[in-house]
Amino acid sequence: MSVEAVIVERWVDRALKSYPSEMHSFLGGEKDPFRNPVGNTFRENLAALVHELLGTMDKEKIAGALDGLVRLRAVQNFTPGEALHFVFDLRPVIGEVSGAISDPLQSRIDELALMAFDQYMSCRERIFELRINELRMWARSAAAGEGGTP
Amino acid sequence: MNALYSVLVVLALVLAGLAGGRVEAGRAVLTLAVPYAALAIFLVGFFARVLRWAWVPVPFHIPTTCGQQKALAWIKPSKVDNPSSRWGVFARMAAEILLFRSLFRNNRARMAEKRLILGESKYLWLGALAFHWALLLIQLRHLRLFIEPVPAWIDGLERLDSFFQVGAPQIYLSDVIVLAALAYLLYRRFRDPAVRFISLFTDYFALFLLLGVAVSGVLMRYFVRVDILSVKQFALSLAAFHPIDPSTLNPLFLAHLLLVCTLAAYFPFSKLMHMGGVFLSPTRNLANDSRRRRHVNPWNYPVKKHTYAEWEEEFRDKLKAAGIPLEADDAGNARTN
Amino acid sequence: MPETLVQIEPKPPRGDWRNPKVEFRKGAMCYSAAAKNLTYLGLPNPRAWQPADSDWKLPPDWKKIILDGMKDRLAKYRSFRLFMDICVRCGACADKCHFYLGTADPKNMPVARAELIRSVYRRYFTLTGRLFGSLAGGRELTEDVIKEWFYYFYQCTQCRRCSVFCPYGIDTAEITLIGRELLNLIGCNINWVMEPVANCYRTGNHLGIQPHGFKDSIDFAADEASEITGLDIEVPINRKGAEILFVMPSADYFATPHYYTLLGYMMLFREIGLDYTVSAYASEGGNFGSFASHELMKRLNAKIYDEARRLGVKWILGGECGHMWRVLHQYMDTMNGPADFLEVPVSPITGTVFEHARSTKMVHICEFTADLIHHGKIKLDPRRNDHWTVTYHDSCNPARGMGLLEEPRYILNHVSRRFHEMPENTIREQTFCCGSGAGLGTDENLEVRLRGGFPRANAVKYVKQKHGVNLLTCICAIDKATLPTLLEYWVPGVEVGGIHELVGNALVMTGEKERTTDLRGEPLAREEVMAGGESEAAHA
Ligand code: SF4
Ligand code: SF4
Repeated sequence: MSVEAVIVERWVDRALKSYPSEMHSFLGGEKDPFRNPVGNTFRENLAALVHELLGTMDKEKIAGALDGLVRLRAVQNFTPGEALHFVFDLRPVIGEVSGAISDPLQSRIDELALMAFDQYMSCRERIFELRINELRMWARSAAAGEGGTP
Repeated sequence: MNALYSVLVVLALVLAGLAGGRVEAGRAVLTLAVPYAALAIFLVGFFARVLRWAWVPVPFHIPTTCGQQKALAWIKPSKVDNPSSRWGVFARMAAEILLFRSLFRNNRARMAEKRLILGESKYLWLGALAFHWALLLIQLRHLRLFIEPVPAWIDGLERLDSFFQVGAPQIYLSDVIVLAALAYLLYRRFRDPAVRFISLFTDYFALFLLLGVAVSGVLMRYFVRVDILSVKQFALSLAAFHPIDPSTLNPLFLAHLLLVCTLAAYFPFSKLMHMGGVFLSPTRNLANDSRRRRHVNPWNYPVKKHTYAEWEEEFRDKLKAAGIPLEADDAGNARTN
Repeated sequence: MPETLVQIEPKPPRGDWRNPKVEFRKGAMCYSAAAKNLTYLGLPNPRAWQPADSDWKLPPDWKKIILDGMKDRLAKYRSFRLFMDICVRCGACADKCHFYLGTADPKNMPVARAELIRSVYRRYFTLTGRLFGSLAGGRELTEDVIKEWFYYFYQCTQCRRCSVFCPYGIDTAEITLIGRELLNLIGCNINWVMEPVANCYRTGNHLGIQPHGFKDSIDFAADEASEITGLDIEVPINRKGAEILFVMPSADYFATPHYYTLLGYMMLFREIGLDYTVSAYASEGGNFGSFASHELMKRLNAKIYDEARRLGVKWILGGECGHMWRVLHQYMDTMNGPADFLEVPVSPITGTVFEHARSTKMVHICEFTADLIHHGKIKLDPRRNDHWTVTYHDSCNPARGMGLLEEPRYILNHVSRRFHEMPENTIREQTFCCGSGAGLGTDENLEVRLRGGFPRANAVKYVKQKHGVNLLTCICAIDKATLPTLLEYWVPGVEVGGIHELVGNALVMTGEKERTTDLRGEPLAREEVMAGGESEAAHA
């Protein structure tokens, strides 16, 4: 197994620890992307992130992969800190695998974290927007109904 | 914790069986009182439970449809997974009971890198199916102990079962399968944290009890070599309600017997009742024909409704203003507009 | 400096499932039912409270009420009694629930959801449970257990996916419904169920639109359909002597994108010259009662037969709606039948006798339309839908409570040239729920809905990336109301529409004016039509 693959695997492992331990074997084990959408989101996107971090740091690809993850984390029952903790899980993983983290890699991870924050905020904003849109729509229809129970 | 308790209970049973076999009084209890009591509890309990279910009405027609309905003549219906006739239901239930159809649905065998992958959930189906069939076979084989002369079909079964003849005594395939399947089911309960999360004492207890029965049986057949003749004599006498003196019986056999009796007596109070229940499940044993044939609810009762008349009364002005035809001012004459 | 200061610990295990503590969080819970709605319906314990309150103001004898309620139902529903007894906790249903998959909360396993009530059953209604208590899997009924029931029974959309995989067909949806019935007995219900029920009971539809408002909406839509087609389209209301009563979910005339489906129906009926009427009294097919109790289900559903009898129609045609059809297909005849005052449905256009609806006398619009197409009675130009690359989401109830799988697909294949299925284990009887059904589709519950809708969205995303899908079609009013929001979040760029919207687009009507836009007013893709046509031909 390549170093990259080892890093991905361990990172996924660590990141999934943020779910109740009863879930780990399913989230980590079930490979069908449709039966296990959460686990699959992690596997796919963390792999893409590692590839970019160790490679060329293609901004678009990173944003895409990060988006998949953050979008999911933003709706699950997490505090913001818990939701984004997966980014910081990478440090100990790389530490384990290659002993030390080079400075450029450090700053790349920092960059990743900052991007994740931005995306998290925009996801949360999006949720509230959508909520308001729905409310508005219902209010409009309700007004048209001018009814309801007395 | 649950698992531990259940192991302890089973071990205690084994010890009771072994110890009881050494004293006369114990033997008497184990070979007389216990088997008959267990049998009585099993029979009464089992039928009481099934009858109680059967007693409860099925108010609504709620099959879970797992395939295309029979509606338009030119669209092919899924006759088994969404049965519309009695035969379809029969086939569906047969597939469910004999082949564990629904568990099999879990099996999404996928081709990945030109290799067929069977995941964990496929083994659940395999394990469960293997276990139940092997258990059935073993039970049928045991009938030879209760019937004299032994019917030919039991001999046939045994020949089939020992098809892979290895050494003497012949090794029954069903014995191997039962042990392996039980071990797997137990392993799965321990290993999968999600399943462990929902597992109760009774889940482990049932498994350990069955394992105890199987292991003691296997020990007797292949290792301790219990005198099969005396066992058969005993079994026949038991079946004839004329029990003989059990002094020749091996303690291991008594342990086996006690475990079996415990299983039988415990059966009606446990989830093992799924054996009877599966036949009654209204999501499976009804044809999906609720629009074709009216299903009757025996306790259907009138409910409070907001009738048309009340509704018209309440909104009369608005109906009028909107030009929607009314009943009341038209003296019930049919109107068309 | 203490190193643990900023350490975020991995989530602890849920631990023992018997611990009933739950936490109600804003944005991830439904509000309680307003007292006025309960009062109007004559339901017990109307009061002001919220799930996040510590005191739920239960009636003093709540425990007795619940236990009596259980006893009553154990004697009335074989399903309930049996499902309480025979689960072996094999876990085959576990990873089948979209809420489990989306929330990663082990208590959202269908089996765990059922155990919440099963544990109480064992403690109070079985010998072993009474003797051995928790060792036999029993659990005391406490106020915390009630809160936990509320939390998890309002996190189940009664989609029945779990039931497909259970070796005994244990249907957690049934258990959830009965659990909600029990909660109703002590006044623990949610407003998004009870308000629509109360409204529907009073005015005939969920939003409480009064008859004149109903007429305005219908007329408005008819005008718009007329404008699009250049034909004179009218929709009769409460017309006696019509051959067919048409019943649709009320969202079809007050919400988008349902509205376009309504236009589609109208155009279709006009084109084939159907002798029909809609009713302002029975102006709701959807049945929110089915999310609360069997009794409320029956009280709302009764209007349909009553109205059919009053209007003297021959049979009833039903529009696109999921839970509406669960009730019509599996409950209506039993509850409010027999419909012996109606006739066995016969399509007046093709002469097809709908034998399968011989007793209930109610036909699904997709069955009706598929039959029309099969007999070549309508002219369709699928190129008019070329601006849509379509996928089809099986709505839970028509799929698992009916088996209506091929009819909509047959129609789609005739009105669209770009139809792509989602992966096999996410459609048909294995379809993933939208995550907002059974009364959970309210804005204050959006986060839970987003979690529950994730498995569905995940499959949509896949076909979007693979085939460029930009329209998800479905035949359910709740899907149409809630999936747009979900997809906007998870898979931006995929819209939601009904089957009969596409039928309306493709329908070539006699004497119509040339169409330049679709029902949404969006320009048709004329150029693409030709290019697409050629490449398609080359492909063949
Ligand atoms: S699949 Fe059925 S028997 Fe198995 S745990 Fe789920 S509900 Fe119980
Ligand atoms: S009915 Fe649907 S939502 Fe409810 S437990 Fe089963 S799979 Fe989950």
